[in-house]
Amino acid sequence: MEIAVRESGTVTVVSIRGSVDGLTAGDLSDAIGAQVRGGRTHLVADFAEVEYISSAGLRAVLGALKDARQQGGDFRLAAIRPDVQRVLDLSGFTSILKAFSTVDAAVGSFGG
Amino acid sequence: MSAPAAPRRRIALVIGSGSVKCAAALGLQRVLAREHIDVDMVVGCSGGSIYASFLAGGFATEDAVRMTKELWTRKITSRRHTPSLLRAILPGLFGFSEDFGLKSDRLVMRRLEDVFGGRRIEAMPTRLHLTATDFHTGEQVVLSEGSVVDAIRASIAIPFIFRPWKVGDRLLIDGFMSDPLPVGVAIREGADIIVAMGFESPYQSAIRSPARFSFQLSSIMTNNLLKSRFAFHNLAHHAEVIPVIPQFSQHIRLFDTEKIPLIIEEGERAAEEQLPYLRRLLAEPAAGAFRA
Repeated sequence: MEIAVRESGTVTVVSIRGSVDGLTAGDLSDAIGAQVRGGRTHLVADFAEVEYISSAGLRAVLGALKDARQQGGDFRLAAIRPDVQRVLDLSGFTSILKAFSTVDAAVGSFGG
Repeated sequence: MSAPAAPRRRIALVIGSGSVKCAAALGLQRVLAREHIDVDMVVGCSGGSIYASFLAGGFATEDAVRMTKELWTRKITSRRHTPSLLRAILPGLFGFSEDFGLKSDRLVMRRLEDVFGGRRIEAMPTRLHLTATDFHTGEQVVLSEGSVVDAIRASIAIPFIFRPWKVGDRLLIDGFMSDPLPVGVAIREGADIIVAMGFESPYQSAIRSPARFSFQLSSIMTNNLLKSRFAFHNLAHHAEVIPVIPQFSQHIRLFDTEKIPLIIEEGERAAEEQLPYLRRLLAEPAAGAFRA
């Protein structure tokens, strides 16, 4: 899994490539945790290149979501592939987090 | 002194409810056998209890296909259970009771006996757990010993169709009523990697009868139960739950046994989608995995 972080105004976009699973989820948690600790709590995860997510990956997403919200921010997903969307739906995640079809829409959802 | 060897990860296979679609588990079995991935336990629910029993019993795929075609035909629900009908129509006269199901189970019992005979759960080559639901309390009941036929009969006691089934002192109904994909059983039994094959209940394209209205309600409730239980188990498990959810290119009805080759193929395809990650996971030392 590869992670790239960039800033778009007050929003941090975390682009993820590859598989978010038991072997890689810790890296995602570390990357998000560093952002939250640094006060960047408006987070968008660009899932366009995420080809797989497992239960450990879901736990990392949930951790990111809770960390960001506890600090008054949010963790939102963008550009989810259909296979990954199916897992998120089945696991109930789409009922607790905000997802957008594009990164721009997700970034824009945080407002000015 | 050398460090103690890392414990081997225990692999469980969970097959959820889904009537004849559960035959997709045979496709999953093919993939696991081809990859030489040994399973430590099998958990089955409702229709999945039949295939869990095939897999745990070491039945060859071809035998399981043949037995499915013999076991699961429209004939098994063709005969009414007259006492239940009389009790429903004239409860004052015949006395309505919980022993209610519109279809006779005589044929399905005979066919289950033909396939599994006197086999016992605890004597299966692979550990087997079948789930049902306590009719009086709604609790999930895990059958880990006793007659395979009894356990399957309880697990497939579809409400309104087959009468509840007594095992010991508990009256049991279909396992899907408490959890359509009982991943929690595998977690409790100590599995690390859980391969969970589940099926969403189909929604009706048109509602033109009370039966279809009832099926629609059942699908809505079952699918929501499936998602909520699966969400909890995903988050509660210390290791991995790998969902294998076949996507069928054709509509599969309750008794579409002629579509079994297609169903198995879709099961195989869904399993192969998960294979790259499963291979990587199994190649990792147990201690290094699952840092989330």
